[in-house]
Amino acid sequence: MTDGDLQRFERVVLPHLDDAYTLARYLLRDEHDAQDVVQEASLRALRYFDGYSGGDARAWLLAIVRNCSFTWRKRQRADDRTVPVEDTAELPTREADAPDVAAMQASERARVQRAISALPEEFREVIVLREVEDLSYREIGDIVGVPIGTVMSRLARARKRLAVLLDVDVREAS
Amino acid sequence: MVCDTCRDSLEARLDDELTPDEAREIDRHLATCASCSRQFATLTETHRLLSENLMRYAAPDVLKARIRGAIAQAASPRVSVRAAPPWWRQLAAGILIAIASSGVTLTVVDRSRGGTAAAEELLASHVRSLMPGHLTDVVSTEQHTVKPWFNGRVDVSPAVPNLDGAGFPLVGGRADYVRGRVVPVVVYARRQHMINVYAWPSPSAGAASAKDLSRNGYHFVTWRSGGIEYWAVSDLNAAELHTFVATFSAAR
Repeated sequence: MTDGDLQRFERVVLPHLDDAYTLARYLLRDEHDAQDVVQEASLRALRYFDGYSGGDARAWLLAIVRNCSFTWRKRQRADDRTVPVEDTAELPTREADAPDVAAMQASERARVQRAISALPEEFREVIVLREVEDLSYREIGDIVGVPIGTVMSRLARARKRLAVLLDVDVREAS
Repeated sequence: MVCDTCRDSLEARLDDELTPDEAREIDRHLATCASCSRQFATLTETHRLLSENLMRYAAPDVLKARIRGAIAQAASPRVSVRAAPPWWRQLAAGILIAIASSGVTLTVVDRSRGGTAAAEELLASHVRSLMPGHLTDVVSTEQHTVKPWFNGRVDVSPAVPNLDGAGFPLVGGRADYVRGRVVPVVVYARRQHMINVYAWPSPSAGAASAKDLSRNGYHFVTWRSGGIEYWAVSDLNAAELHTFVATFSAAR
């Protein structure tokens, strides 16, 4: 690889490391695993940089992160050394009127975070790609390797579950 | 439009995946159908809760440094020395002025075999230091913790100036084995870049010489001060690394 290629790689791909790390955090639910996977994915991206055709580099990198996470988890399961830490914590009960707005926001955030980690993998990944990474159905379909119709139905089911978990209740439509 | 058709498209309406015509048709139905409208409101509220509250994580600086290190190494396992580019000479003039006040003399030296070998070892050591858990033996942002830590571990007592004010926070220190001996390494940071400063007892006291080597985004600057030969290694850009060296040499 020439210095020019390397510089191009650094310019095009490396700015998306935060997004890559965010996806890995949600998929693996472990900060150390996420770091290792993002490093592995970056090196893999470098190796396959020739094959990158110049589309959206972020979606391209996220697809690699998603595949690396998948492989990582499979390897872990095969090793059977690690006991998967399922977030089975119950949703917090509603606290009595907290006067502190920051505290309320923090607890709201924790509530949403818990709800999402309670989702099955295939739902969690489409929700994160859509709500956090803000990708289109087509991009999500490309990353996950399913048709757009499947992306839509998974998103719909995931949101339905989350509405229940988060106790979203809209009484009157405006 | 019947409700079943409408409900199939609510997700796509929310996510802006419909054509303008399709969207208008859904909106018309929602305006007249309380049941679909309520479902859409639930969906919208769920989406709002998620997009406002889901965490976006920043990749840790050390991870970014690790990745840059691993990438540079993968792209080229060998380091070589390049002659200083012309712009460097202009920069050197500026640094000369900066350093003159600290009693350190600085000259540009041609490439040398010894310098290349040292740079190769230092690059390997630098990259190794960015692997998980290898960067620091003593983690401290406090110079009075890091400096005494070297006592009894290495036979050189490097300067450990506090450069917080200049934007180079101290990260910590470690003992490393380079060029045939155990040497102290003081670690500083600049944004997501790590700077390793190696120190050796200098074979010759007196005037300091500065060599500037670089390869694949890594820069090396060496200088001598107080009978100690220092090497700073980083993937930081050359200009900022020189600012760092100037600040380091000037600080006491």
